[in-house]
Amino acid sequence: MLVSPAIPDRKTRERKTACTHLSADRRPIQMYQYDTFDRQFVNERVSHYRAQTERYLAGELKEDEFLQLRLRNGLYVQRLAPMLRVAVPYGTLNSTQLRQLAFIARNFDRGYGHLSTRQNVQFNWPLLEEVPDILAALAEVDMHAIQTSGSCIRNVTTDQFAGVARDEWLDPRPFCEIIRQWSTSHPEFDWLPRKFKIAITGARQDRAAIAVHDIGLKVYQADGRTLFDVFVGGGLGRTPVIAEQIRSGLSVEHLLTYLEAIMRVYNRYGRRDNKYKARIKILVRAMTAEGFQARVDEEWAHLKDGPSTLTAEEIERMHTHFLPRDYPAQAPVDLDAQRLANPAFSRWVEQNVVPHRASGYAAVTLSTKLTGVPPGDVSDTQMAAVADWADDYGFGEIRISHEQNFVLPDVPEAKLLELWERALAAQLAAPNAGLISDIICCPGGDYCSLANAKSIPVAEAIQIALGDLDYQHDLGPIDLNISGCMNACGHHHVGHIGILGVDKKGSEFYQISLGGHAGHGELPASLGQIVGPSVARDEVVEIIEKILATYVALREEGETFLACFQRTGIEPFKERIYGTA
Amino acid sequence: MALLNRNGEVIEPSSISDGANPAGGLAITPLAQWTPERGEGLLLEPTDEPEAAHTRAPLIAINFPAFSDGRGLSLAVLLRTRYGFEGELRAVGDVHPDVIHYMKRCGFDTFQMPEGRKLPPAANDANGDGARGNGASTLAPYSDYYQASVIHPEPAYRRVRRGA
Ligand code: SF4
Repeated sequence: MLVSPAIPDRKTRERKTACTHLSADRRPIQMYQYDTFDRQFVNERVSHYRAQTERYLAGELKEDEFLQLRLRNGLYVQRLAPMLRVAVPYGTLNSTQLRQLAFIARNFDRGYGHLSTRQNVQFNWPLLEEVPDILAALAEVDMHAIQTSGSCIRNVTTDQFAGVARDEWLDPRPFCEIIRQWSTSHPEFDWLPRKFKIAITGARQDRAAIAVHDIGLKVYQADGRTLFDVFVGGGLGRTPVIAEQIRSGLSVEHLLTYLEAIMRVYNRYGRRDNKYKARIKILVRAMTAEGFQARVDEEWAHLKDGPSTLTAEEIERMHTHFLPRDYPAQAPVDLDAQRLANPAFSRWVEQNVVPHRASGYAAVTLSTKLTGVPPGDVSDTQMAAVADWADDYGFGEIRISHEQNFVLPDVPEAKLLELWERALAAQLAAPNAGLISDIICCPGGDYCSLANAKSIPVAEAIQIALGDLDYQHDLGPIDLNISGCMNACGHHHVGHIGILGVDKKGSEFYQISLGGHAGHGELPASLGQIVGPSVARDEVVEIIEKILATYVALREEGETFLACFQRTGIEPFKERIYGTA
Repeated sequence: MALLNRNGEVIEPSSISDGANPAGGLAITPLAQWTPERGEGLLLEPTDEPEAAHTRAPLIAINFPAFSDGRGLSLAVLLRTRYGFEGELRAVGDVHPDVIHYMKRCGFDTFQMPEGRKLPPAANDANGDGARGNGASTLAPYSDYYQASVIHPEPAYRRVRRGA
């Protein structure tokens, strides 16, 4: 059962005017630090939105007018209540910010928040009248909800292990921040045909899924120069498309002028008559990738080397925010002995701890995927606890992954056991990162007015059916993604196993696909193939079990689910599930 | 149908252009009927392609079929930055007070407000960059912006010392 915490009475609950934790020791951490310019902009944005809310409440702004304004400030009205989506720029937070999110969850919400597949944090029950106060509370800790909804450039996303991953060519975060600033309230590109998502990767393994974004950027270095490969027109939703490359080796100083050329072509020619055909992927398809590229190049010829060309100083300034830190040497620890003595800890290390660039350190995934808890849901106390651990066992930094988990990027190996014990007590130690129960799941029919079907109960049923962790470990890495409708917020197309809620004569059915992935190692992303007719909710688990049994029967030594599927194709799966080919 | 200047003051159409380009009483003609020789104002739809010849119009009005339709913003930027149009640039159609601060940065001078839409309070924003703000002002909400624009051809990182 989905357990909702008791709803505090909004009138009687305690409302603090200021938060008490802001004076906490602020150690320098390797993330972007606001300057007075940023702070002024965000504070003015709060006043701006407060005035707009007041005009709406006074009847001066009509519903459809205010809609456009509130969306651009993160407020989206769902089935049951408004939802406020807070931007977590490229998934990076500091402990002070996470404590503030806990404070907001406690004081303005029902005591929890939701980690989204785009590395943001969502609150599901804010009062429209109180949103300006929430935004003010965010601004106190250099956060905002700007452009997290609406037909505008959204929060840029990247690799949750940026800056610490061993397979990284170049840290993508400075460029994420450059793009964040450029896209904030852009004079020309805030009223696009449709929402617009940009993702950047700087690592061999693309953990940012750039191939399914409106613009995907791959950053790397060659001959001492920083270069970008540019992909456009990827996306999920009802027309899933893998992005096409339209430029390779774009030199870093041209990043913004080239993006402006793309945005201008899209803003002018993207369809506005049908919201299902308004994403850039439809335009790219209509013009062909070559035609689109030619039009962008034509536009870029006028913009190239213009004033929006990045200066060496600006690039340098951004880099200094993300310089590799000095990792103090750690006392050696006999991790193997600790693991031998404690099999549960050992399993967690195996599954949720990844190697770090600095020896003696590790990056840790704190899974939110505990059976019975909607994937991505975290309570205020969990948020506050994670903030404490980030201070106690790291440098005060936290990441949010697109798999809807927390990541602590810099944990000394000697502290893993202690962290695990605390995480266990806080129900954040499920040893399932990357396993089949680490399900990506959209809010679905329980919360979302667009849903065809519920998704959270499906996730829960699968987690319960596959409860045996030994079996899950034996199955190895499997991404199982669930969306409640073809808008694909749960990224079902790129799940190794994807589940999509569909409406069949007024009842909830589920379509299951296999073999999708969002870019795996050197492999470009691919979309899942539908395995058979859609099924009722109570049949989903049985099909999933058959799929897994098929994999176990077919796999060769050491072969992952995805590799096995790619070798055998879909036919043997169809055969064994339905007894036909 | 009030016409506003960048400060949000209601103005008479004749009072906005300087003597060299009197716009008052001008006919404003859709592109299909417009020729440069007649000295008429030009009305562009968001689907029209801008051309150098258009800059010979004393006034260009750009139609916004819906206030959430940003195509006219790109058109304005092109006219100002690529074709060097220096005459009056007027937003017409579904002009919304809350979009004007974007329009100003894209080079619009005047704003034809549709019937029935509440006019925004005037703001002291004579240079039209929407940047006199304390946040609460609809027409000039921000003190400064990150990006380059028609009004500020240089982005903040070239104009302002950042990092302090
Ligand atoms: S995929 Fe559909 S049901 Fe799920 S959150 Fe998105 S719009 Fe709602």
